[in-house]
Amino acid sequence: MMSALKRPLKRLLAIRGIGQVLTVTVGLILLCIVFGIMNPIFFSSRNVANLLRQIAPILLIGIGQSYVLITGNIDLSIGSVVGMSTMISATLMTKGVSPLFAVLITIICCLALGLSNGLLVSFAKLPPFIATLGTMTIARGIAQIANNNYNTDSIGESAQSFRDFFYYGKTLGLYNTIWIAILLWIVFNFLLTRTKSGRHIYAIGSNAEAARLSGVNIVGTTTKAYLVSAFVSCVVGLITTATSGMGTMDAGNSYELYAVAASVIGGVSTLGGQGLLFGTVIGASIWGVLQNGLQFAGAPVAIRNIVIGIIVVVSVLLDVIVRSGKMTKKKPV
Amino acid sequence: MKKLSVLLLVLLLASAMFAQGTKESSAFKVYLITMDQMDQHWVNVDKGAQKAAQELGGIEYKWLAPDVKDDAKQIESINNAVAGGADAILLAANGPNAVTAALKEATEAGVTIVYVDSAANFPAVQTLATDNTAAGTTAGKEMLKALTDKGIKNGKIGVISVNSATASTVARETGFRKAFEGTAFTILETQYCDGDAARSKDMSANFITQGVVGLFGANEGSTVGVGNAIAEAGKNIIGVGFDKSDMILSLIKSGHLLATMAQNPDVMGYEGVKTAYKALKGETVSPDYFDTGVSVLTKATL
Repeated sequence: MMSALKRPLKRLLAIRGIGQVLTVTVGLILLCIVFGIMNPIFFSSRNVANLLRQIAPILLIGIGQSYVLITGNIDLSIGSVVGMSTMISATLMTKGVSPLFAVLITIICCLALGLSNGLLVSFAKLPPFIATLGTMTIARGIAQIANNNYNTDSIGESAQSFRDFFYYGKTLGLYNTIWIAILLWIVFNFLLTRTKSGRHIYAIGSNAEAARLSGVNIVGTTTKAYLVSAFVSCVVGLITTATSGMGTMDAGNSYELYAVAASVIGGVSTLGGQGLLFGTVIGASIWGVLQNGLQFAGAPVAIRNIVIGIIVVVSVLLDVIVRSGKMTKKKPV
Repeated sequence: MKKLSVLLLVLLLASAMFAQGTKESSAFKVYLITMDQMDQHWVNVDKGAQKAAQELGGIEYKWLAPDVKDDAKQIESINNAVAGGADAILLAANGPNAVTAALKEATEAGVTIVYVDSAANFPAVQTLATDNTAAGTTAGKEMLKALTDKGIKNGKIGVISVNSATASTVARETGFRKAFEGTAFTILETQYCDGDAARSKDMSANFITQGVVGLFGANEGSTVGVGNAIAEAGKNIIGVGFDKSDMILSLIKSGHLLATMAQNPDVMGYEGVKTAYKALKGETVSPDYFDTGVSVLTKATL
């Protein structure tokens, strides 16, 4: 703590993986300047408020995917869990269940899916790509079956407080959605950087065998990461229900890939063991800014996809180059 | 044992005679086969078909549908209809190709095929469905009329659709744009929301920030997002959409959406049975494609 006060810059630069975070932060600032010059509306207070609210869900799922990526795995079920969460919560509310109770049931269902993800990967030792591909289809199926293969009706007037809490309401001048993302980020960043479980998550991602030999519980740690992922996806599903006032079965489609993009753009390594949740904030922001700014620029969707794809590839390439450079200089800790 | 077999034989003969009897009656057997049984859409097709069968008389009508949307089950339904002595089948094909072999067998058995809602790649007497391009133009005209009534003669308009690959929504979008040809309005680049109402809401909010005067949603999810964004912005933007759902109707009632385009499944059933009847009586049926149109639902018509 003392040294942090004395030499904050040196301390900052000593954090592993900070290099890419700083690089993409510069990229984000440049991107904002370009969009701001192209279209003055970009920096209007209305758009900034909207933009931050659009980034919030991407950041949340990004946190989940980052946790899982740091353990050296991947979670492909994120988008389907978002869909499952929105369909279960909306269906319950249309059936007259109180919003609070509906939220609790939804969280339990989503955590159960996260638990199965964790156990399939760590205990049953299925490749994470296959295991979560399976649960991805299962969760989407649950989303579809929740209301008999239809989008739900309106969750109604009685759920207005629910809609305000998760999306439409404001606290201290900021939309609640943004507060939810900030608070959860603080909690999960604390857990990842300041607790033993957090260090274990990095440890099994760096070298699972070494971690196991030094007494790290692989099954427990991996499962925790998947539970975090399922939880934040669940919250995004609830935000989606609040936004729409109904449940759509297609909600959250391909969000797992947005989450991967937000993570890797922000410097989280797909190889595991490395990544900062601060980077995920920048990654999610770049993603949100691109979506928002390119819509204003009137870019056709095809162009947008190409631009975003290139940015993802370049980010990972950057990571690989930096890592291989570091390898030759000094051994990674 | 002997008694039982005699009884069975009598029953068999009786049923054979009975079957013969119905076959000889002049009633045409018309079966409706939909994708599933639950959707309100299909229930309405059935209602229309029942109505036509009653009005025309001399038609033995039956709705035969798989419990869930499934190619194998739909093929089974077609085979059952043929086995049940169908003269005509009204079919809402699950997909263009899966059922063609079953349809070939059916026509070889002398069954007349009429498509309702969606056609397969196999010749039939007529297809009765929503012309999505025309429906999109209707939506565009509704918006244009509302804007003109408000004295707005130019401005930007935003479009939200599902994706660039779904034929029906792409056609709606094309039709919508057509309605604005030759006007001073600019239609912005289409945004795709994958049918997710929350994403449509974000995109609509961005359009509103850009100062659009009108927003168009090409399906249920897109339309709900448009309505929610207009509701939140509290601005006087004209929102027009597609499909008829509880949420969309409540957004129309609250005044945040001007109108939605609802398909007419009852017309598909009603006119479909009439077409089948005509064809069975040997009359010529034209045209090959019958546009069942859309109904424009507004606050006034609800």
